[in-house]
Amino acid sequence: MKKNKTLSYEFIKGLWEINPIFKQVLGMCPTLAVTVSVMNGLAMALATTFVLVFSSLLISSFRKLIPNQVRIAAFIVVIATFVTIADLVMKAKFPELSKALGPFVPLIVVNCLILGRQEVFASKNNPLRSLLDALGNGAGFLIALVIMGGIREIIGSRTLMGYSVLPNSFEPWLIIILPAGAFLTLGLLMGFANLYVERKKRIELEAGIAKYKAAKNTLDIKLGEK
Amino acid sequence: MDLLIIFISAAIVNNFVLSLFLGICPFIGVSNKTSSALSMGMATTFVMVLTAIVSWLLYFLLLVPFKLEFLQIPSFILVIASLVQFVEMVIKKVSQPIYRALGIFLPLITTNCAILGFALLLSMREYTLIQSIIFGLGAGVGFTVALLIMSGIREELELTDVPKAFRGAPITLIIAGLLALAFMGFAGMI
Amino acid sequence: MNNVIKMILTLTVIGIFSGGLLSEVSNWATPKIKKNQKAEIEKAIFVVHPNGKYYEVVQNNKVEIYKVFDAEKNLIGYTIVNSGNGFQGKIKIMTGVNIKLNKITSIEILEQVETPGLGTKITEEPFKNQFQEITALPNIIWVKGKSLEQSNEIQTITGATISSKSVVEIVNAGIEKARESKNRGLL
Repeated sequence: MKKNKTLSYEFIKGLWEINPIFKQVLGMCPTLAVTVSVMNGLAMALATTFVLVFSSLLISSFRKLIPNQVRIAAFIVVIATFVTIADLVMKAKFPELSKALGPFVPLIVVNCLILGRQEVFASKNNPLRSLLDALGNGAGFLIALVIMGGIREIIGSRTLMGYSVLPNSFEPWLIIILPAGAFLTLGLLMGFANLYVERKKRIELEAGIAKYKAAKNTLDIKLGEK
Repeated sequence: MDLLIIFISAAIVNNFVLSLFLGICPFIGVSNKTSSALSMGMATTFVMVLTAIVSWLLYFLLLVPFKLEFLQIPSFILVIASLVQFVEMVIKKVSQPIYRALGIFLPLITTNCAILGFALLLSMREYTLIQSIIFGLGAGVGFTVALLIMSGIREELELTDVPKAFRGAPITLIIAGLLALAFMGFAGMI
Repeated sequence: MNNVIKMILTLTVIGIFSGGLLSEVSNWATPKIKKNQKAEIEKAIFVVHPNGKYYEVVQNNKVEIYKVFDAEKNLIGYTIVNSGNGFQGKIKIMTGVNIKLNKITSIEILEQVETPGLGTKITEEPFKNQFQEITALPNIIWVKGKSLEQSNEIQTITGATISSKSVVEIVNAGIEKARESKNRGLL
């Protein structure tokens, strides 16, 4: 890793540039499964961030002591430990949420996002950078899950965070909170995000070309004058 | 009869990919060619049946009697990881053609959440050993079917003009959504 | 060789660390989880038996049954906790029944993982209320689409027939188990 990158960059890049869902396309199972409401998405993202942050901290601290051949096994055990802790704490302190998320809390273990960050980042960087990277990726994951949860909750059950936001005359589109709706929402969301980025790039490109053309014109005129 | 219902439920009605969202990563990653989809599906089915046996024995004969349920996640994932490694070694020794067909997909299975999700569901539903094996078989077949259908569609899709922004993951997800819609029709079967 | 020792050592240390940490957290969490579950059951007992004031666990190794008493400590019925498989996973239901085990007072869904928006309707009032004061002998039966004719029938939810059927089956099986215990003189 290049050392010239600023610390704030390690955090910010997770929000959009390498956003776990929209850019890396990692950790899809929980994204699709639990986002029937904003609250569920939020809880899932927080639990995932908890696991990601502590695993990254621990692994980056001991990265020089872990032999290369057994690193994946070591990562998995560390992640599994923190996931179990998250699961137990949720069951003890927030029983309602733990019920809503069902079997998806234990599945944080196989969320490729977490293992991916250990392999790509935490095993190669110091704890401070790894912490920021983990927080950034967690925040990016949270943003994606909350957007998904928001869209599906508003259209699928006409509420937001449990409060009614659409008039009763709006018949909820049940399909959106069913499994099929999860795939459709995420697919469209990713497509439109790409479309937006593409358009922004094209506008920048066109602006660049226009600038170049203008400069060339003035140069041509100047040359013509001579 | 009971076993048949478990099999059909896992394979079609509650399809792992299309209604439980387990194993989405390989579903999106390995579904661009029919041949590799079939190999991946077969490798997963094979590991699922083995996982069914091993995790059932581990959970009901070791963790529950000794009240060690809190070690469930770490022990399951370790068992699955070593199982996959072991299977890979055996296949490499026994049959080169099979190894060439399935080999590269085996390491990917370790991080396939379908397998761990399957092991956790198995302990939650408190199936017997026989039921677990049938459940594993059904789940594997369901995964293979979903992967095969998807890869067939995606091979055709390469010839069509998809808007650039929707190529890759977005269009795959939208197709998966339509497939999930179709699979909902099976809900009345059981 | 040196490397192998290092590998084994690392994994052992991680294993010990993980096991130790988890047993600590589990020791802390288990009583809290048990307390949550107990509080939930207690709450549900008095929901399915609105006249109940006290309850008592029936020591019975086959099925979870509670005796429910009113304010004067007279036995007014039982609550049975039974679970079974629904459409997507386990459904756990608490059923309140009268002393003769032939009438249901009300039911409460304790756990379910059904399809959001469809199967989850089993937890909502319109469906649950069908079970209030319903005859349980002969067993409850479900009807689909038709109007109800007998006092032991309930209407399934449109789009969630399997979940509705499962609820009926679990309730019936629970009462059946309770009758068996009663025949053996355990109640």
